Amino acid sequence: MTSRALVCRCAAAILAVTACQRPLKPGDPLRGLSAAERARFDQGKGVFDSVFTPETGLGPLFNANACAECHEDPVAGGTGDEVERHATAFHEVVPAGVRQCDELAAFGGPVYQNHVTPALHTALGIDSEPVPPVATAVAARTIPDVFGFGLLDAVPDSEILAYADPDDRNHDGISGRPNRFFDGRLGRFGRKALVPTLREFNDGAFAAEQGITTPASPTEETVAGTPIPAGTDPAPDPELNEQQAALADAFVRLLAPPAPLKMSGEARQGSEVFRRVGCANCHIPTLTTGDSPIAALRHKQVAAYTDLLLHDMGPDLGDICLGLATPTEFRTEPLMGLHLMPRFLHDGRAKTPEEAIEQHGGEAARSRDLFHALPPGERAALVAFLKTL
Amino acid sequence: MVRFVLASLLCVVGPTLAASQQAPHDSVRGAVRLVDTKNRALEVTTGVGMALRVVRLQVPATVPVTTTPGRDQLALSDLKPGDVVRVTFGARPSGWVAYTIERIGRMTSGVEPRPSP
Repeated sequence: MTSRALVCRCAAAILAVTACQRPLKPGDPLRGLSAAERARFDQGKGVFDSVFTPETGLGPLFNANACAECHEDPVAGGTGDEVERHATAFHEVVPAGVRQCDELAAFGGPVYQNHVTPALHTALGIDSEPVPPVATAVAARTIPDVFGFGLLDAVPDSEILAYADPDDRNHDGISGRPNRFFDGRLGRFGRKALVPTLREFNDGAFAAEQGITTPASPTEETVAGTPIPAGTDPAPDPELNEQQAALADAFVRLLAPPAPLKMSGEARQGSEVFRRVGCANCHIPTLTTGDSPIAALRHKQVAAYTDLLLHDMGPDLGDICLGLATPTEFRTEPLMGLHLMPRFLHDGRAKTPEEAIEQHGGEAARSRDLFHALPPGERAALVAFLKTL
Repeated sequence: MVRFVLASLLCVVGPTLAASQQAPHDSVRGAVRLVDTKNRALEVTTGVGMALRVVRLQVPATVPVTTTPGRDQLALSDLKPGDVVRVTFGARPSGWVAYTIERIGRMTSGVEPRPSP
């Protein structure tokens, strides 16, 4: 056999293997994990699925008793039907000596837990954490799926910042700008892009969502700023050790992004319309990851449909401030996995993608108006495309 | 550790509390929330993910407040809300006490990489 024939046979074999790969299902790990990485994914799912009780660390304030209680649909890592309360104080006119946005961290914010343990209920007579009167807005927050978040984490800051145009110097009406955490690092996770890394997003969720302390966040949430009463938290801190927290992080990090559905001809037409009306100016179709110790995350393209930047979405959608984000600024929501979502926008107010588009304002108003002006067939095509993501 | 809220008012720290005397210490990097020059106190917002905390620190007059990278000396009143600071501190019966404060950037613009020594 000549060397050329050998190369052709090898190429054909590789193509055949690739073609035979079954599509990834929600909840599957990324392709190409090592055996050790796959083992950590499986072990991490165990932590993600763990149901906590007050005796094992739950609460005293909490939104859910397990990661998978909220991130459950259609599988662990997916979305859920819970709605959280986040509250902050935004000063239109900035008083001397304070930031424009107060995340109310000194008053238990910005996440106000919807549930308390029986012990805290007995001690304080409350059923949820009260939002302090200093709050200027209370936001509803739905549960995002976390599929593909490891890839988003691996996108270099430089790529995100390359899309920023805070002063709209290209005069396209789009002026994405970065949010930053309190230590100055670029944010990317959360509806307002406050959180810089996936590990922090996950560790913070144990504390803020389940009342589970970790080595990274070793003290309990306060009750609107007041330390929890003695005797209401029987579990010693940290309630989750570093190994368990790292495994939960590994599970989330290694979850594959949802596989897009097969596109019909109409959806392919919609893909072109998506670009033509300007959706893709913020919902950047593809981001590229940088270096990573995990090969499955290294130098990969991810069809995220986001720029991970803040954009003004207009007053109708506005709610809380967070970090540098004003009440009307939101991070461009990743559209990957949209076909799995039962409702849309940060607070779930839109029941369909069409409704979500129609409620875009601010920087997105022009694209919304162009969508309105489309012939019915092109509008349907655009929606058909979205439903494949 | 740093995740702690001191809601009560501060006691005044004795002026003899010299920074160089403190050995065990912790550090926090976050954004200035409040500068209370009258009571020589500083509040720093920090946290992990969406679990945020405010660290309230007493700042004795002897505590060095500097810039990075220039390490110019600053007054406490030079710090502004939104400044990103790195603070070393320790625990005292009256609360957390700062040992050193470095202003390393602004939330709005981020933090420059630390210069090589």
